[in-house]
Amino acid sequence: MLLQLNHIYKWVKQGGKRVFLLNDISLDVEEGEFISIMGPSGSGKSTLLNVIGMLDEFQEGEYIFNEEPVHSLKEKQRAKLYKEYIGFVFQAYHLIDELTVYENIETPLLYKNIKSSERKALVADMLDRFNIVGKKDLFPAQLSGGQQQLVGIARALIAKPKLILADEPTGNLNSKQGEEIMELFKELNQEGVTIIQATHSESNAAYGNRIIHLLDGSKQHQASN
Amino acid sequence: MLRNYIKIAWRNLKANRLFTVLNIIGLVVGLCVCIVLFSFVNSELSFDKMYSHAPDIYRVNMETSEEYNFETWAELPNAVGPAMVKDIPQVKKMTRLIKDDFGVTASLKIGDKNFTEDRLYLADSAVFEMFDFKFIEGEAENAFTNPNSIVISEASKERFFGKKSALGAFITVNNRDTLQVSGVYKDLPENSVIDCDMIYHILDSWMGTDVYWSNASYETYVQLQPQAQVAQVETQATQLIDTYVPKEGQYFTQFYLQPLTKIHLYSAGIRDGYATRLGSITTIRSLIFLSVLVLLIACINYMNLATANSRKRRKSIGVNKVLGATQKHMLVLFYVETAILACIAVVLAYALSFLILPWFQSFTGNAMNFGDLLAPPILIGLALIWLVVTLFAGSYPALSMTGISPLSLVNKSRKKHTVSEFVRKGLVVFQFAASIVLIIAVTVIIQQMDFIKNKNLGYNPDGVVAVSVKSAESKQQIRNLEHALNRKTYVEGIAAVQSIPGADESGRSVRRLSTDQTGMPIASCRTEGNVVETLKLKLLAGAELPQNIPEGDSLVYTLINEKILSYLNYKSPEDAIGKPVNTELGGEAIITGVVANFNFNSLKEDSGGYMYYKANDAPEGIRTLLIRYNTPNLQQLIKGLEQTFNENLPNTAFDYAFVDKHVAQLYASEERTARTATLFSVLAIFIACLGLFGLAAFMAEQRTKEIGVRKVLGASVAGVTALLSKDFLKLVGIAFVLASPFAYWIMSEWLQNFNYRTSIHFWIFGLAGLAAVLIAFVTVSFQAIKAALQNPVKSLRTE
Repeated sequence: MLLQLNHIYKWVKQGGKRVFLLNDISLDVEEGEFISIMGPSGSGKSTLLNVIGMLDEFQEGEYIFNEEPVHSLKEKQRAKLYKEYIGFVFQAYHLIDELTVYENIETPLLYKNIKSSERKALVADMLDRFNIVGKKDLFPAQLSGGQQQLVGIARALIAKPKLILADEPTGNLNSKQGEEIMELFKELNQEGVTIIQATHSESNAAYGNRIIHLLDGSKQHQASN
Repeated sequence: MLRNYIKIAWRNLKANRLFTVLNIIGLVVGLCVCIVLFSFVNSELSFDKMYSHAPDIYRVNMETSEEYNFETWAELPNAVGPAMVKDIPQVKKMTRLIKDDFGVTASLKIGDKNFTEDRLYLADSAVFEMFDFKFIEGEAENAFTNPNSIVISEASKERFFGKKSALGAFITVNNRDTLQVSGVYKDLPENSVIDCDMIYHILDSWMGTDVYWSNASYETYVQLQPQAQVAQVETQATQLIDTYVPKEGQYFTQFYLQPLTKIHLYSAGIRDGYATRLGSITTIRSLIFLSVLVLLIACINYMNLATANSRKRRKSIGVNKVLGATQKHMLVLFYVETAILACIAVVLAYALSFLILPWFQSFTGNAMNFGDLLAPPILIGLALIWLVVTLFAGSYPALSMTGISPLSLVNKSRKKHTVSEFVRKGLVVFQFAASIVLIIAVTVIIQQMDFIKNKNLGYNPDGVVAVSVKSAESKQQIRNLEHALNRKTYVEGIAAVQSIPGADESGRSVRRLSTDQTGMPIASCRTEGNVVETLKLKLLAGAELPQNIPEGDSLVYTLINEKILSYLNYKSPEDAIGKPVNTELGGEAIITGVVANFNFNSLKEDSGGYMYYKANDAPEGIRTLLIRYNTPNLQQLIKGLEQTFNENLPNTAFDYAFVDKHVAQLYASEERTARTATLFSVLAIFIACLGLFGLAAFMAEQRTKEIGVRKVLGASVAGVTALLSKDFLKLVGIAFVLASPFAYWIMSEWLQNFNYRTSIHFWIFGLAGLAAVLIAFVTVSFQAIKAALQNPVKSLRTE
């Protein structure tokens, strides 16, 4: 088991009353799964992803990741954990504008203190694999949305994470570009990477092998195919 | 890794051009001021340290008795130096140093040419060894072997003799002594308080041979044995007073030793001395304070602009953190960025300081040269400044922004950073408060200078030129010159005097009774002409001094001012006329006239007692002709005067000075302060505006959405501009409230320096506040209008 959520509650106070963002969420994720989280705007998809990604806190419940109890870890340890095992892909790509494609992909390796020669090899592999060798010296602003997201995914993958969290990865793309990205996810999943994506597109959700429906912070029912 | 940091930092700087440029401008201005001032301070602190015996050389100063208000004097009786060498074993050498004729410009005759010289000194022969004189002609050991020898500096040699050797040439001083050049020495360094152009042996003059403990006119330097007990030497020196001076002649009570290296900066409050190159530690301190203030404002600017730019940075910090960056990584990145920026600024500022140095020099009147900028302490200082600016200016942005959580990436609603906003506003308030204090200070200083310029001095220094006649060969020559000048149409009146007001009078005392122990110290000035008419003094009673005194009349005729009158307890000016007055002028003296008090000294002091006198057996000579003229054409006036002068005094150099210029000279240091303060306040305001500009940009950006909504709802451009500007004006208002009392207090203190002073008017505060508000408004409204003109569709579109 890669991770396990047990009865997770997250709320904010509004006018003295609790408004639940996550309401009793339990979830088991095995290694190698491709999970789609679906639901309308405000249903808690992103919040759930952030909790899984350890970027956000929750008030009640247990979260075990790779056999470590995340809920009782200090922030520093938690940060260490997610940096080690989790890669993020964002709807708005969030590439660093001042860095080239090559440098963007290289950045996570810098923070892991990987040697220069090894970095070069890893980045070169990644560029090769995503077919963007010719674009390595371009800046994000010089790329199309689809290409930017490709770089975003390459960057998420470079540190060899166990889990990819993707929040509406195709939300800013046209349908053709979106399809390409989803095909890529499928490919990655087949190679063994665990993926959890949030989406409100039925067709994108269908790429996953399990779909979780959220409404007002609660899990509705579970379907698998 | 570091390479990566530098690369990223550099690109960040390039990506935010506006902010980078604003920051660099602010820092360059602040640093430039600092560099120039530090090099000035450095050159001031270097004074006299180059002399190899400097640690052992002291100037002997003395404390006077009650009669002279316990003043400290740098000029001593000429008996002190020889007595110290003879009686105090730890004193190795001494030299007395006195300007020829007590400092009145000398007239030299060399061949058939006349020169003026005001750095002609008499000294003991030890002076050459004590102050490392390097001879290029002749030798130090033999310089004073022959009587009537004189040594001259290299610059003087070139002035008098050009490229030729000067050895053996004759120089006639004041048509009195003819001296033979026995040596030429390399010019003394610029940073030496000893500034002799020419020196002759004090023992060739009565000044060295007539040894006495009464008249104090001689600067005295001693060189002690290495590791001497200074306090012990001082005690022993003070004991000499009781040994040699009878009780009634003890108008000084104590000797103390002032280290040579302290003379330049620490001589405020010490009277007289011949050193013209005097600085002031107070000036140095206030300049350091001001430059640190300007640098501080520039650093604050950096902080403000850096954090103001944080919206863009927020995203990049979030991304980097998600990608694995720790807080430390981000901290280093920020510091590297600041370091690069500061480095660029330091280099630019250093280059710029070479350009502005001459301008700074003429503007503030502080003497400096390029060498001062190249001194090693300055280069070390540059590195230090760079480090300090980086650490200080980089601290707040680095610390406040590296804490940004990666959540800011995914959370759409952004938390308001109330603390950092508070700090930012606080910084702006500080900047503006400092600027307002400076504006008020400058206004008050300018007002005071104006007040001084327009103050009725009790005499009119405008339209009077002083021509030196002290080197005339005979009294007849002076009389002939007077007659010749009196015939000129542009001459209104002439008075032959000992001194122009406040320059070279003699210090004397008047006593009520001849038995009085102490008297009132006054300035006395011999005169031969109509001073009341020429200087336009206000005569209260009596008349001018008599035109002619019969041969054999031993009476001293005096003209006194009200100060003396009231000391002498006369009921009214009329009452005093014809009455005797007890002076130290030899014969019996009577009062022939009383004039209103006039400010012969600086207005920083109260006007003291002043006495003009005329007598057959006057102890002082006539040195100056005061000439009141009535022509606006000064060039022609001087030409005419010079021609007449040369016709009557063919062997004397023509030397003149305008009396009003002399008066202005009294306030030269205040004038400098005023100019320096003006410069600083303009710079401070300029930098503060840069910061405000940046902050306004930030606020406008932060409120883009609000502005968009308001515009959609129908707000006008003017309304939005007002909305944005209002916040800043509030900050300036707070700054004004904080700054005003402080400025009031500090300027009241400053005005205490003046005996005659203007009051601090309240409109000055209004003016300063208004100026600050106006400047702030112009700066902010640029950004505000820009924001207000934006298309709301753009700002309301969600990402």
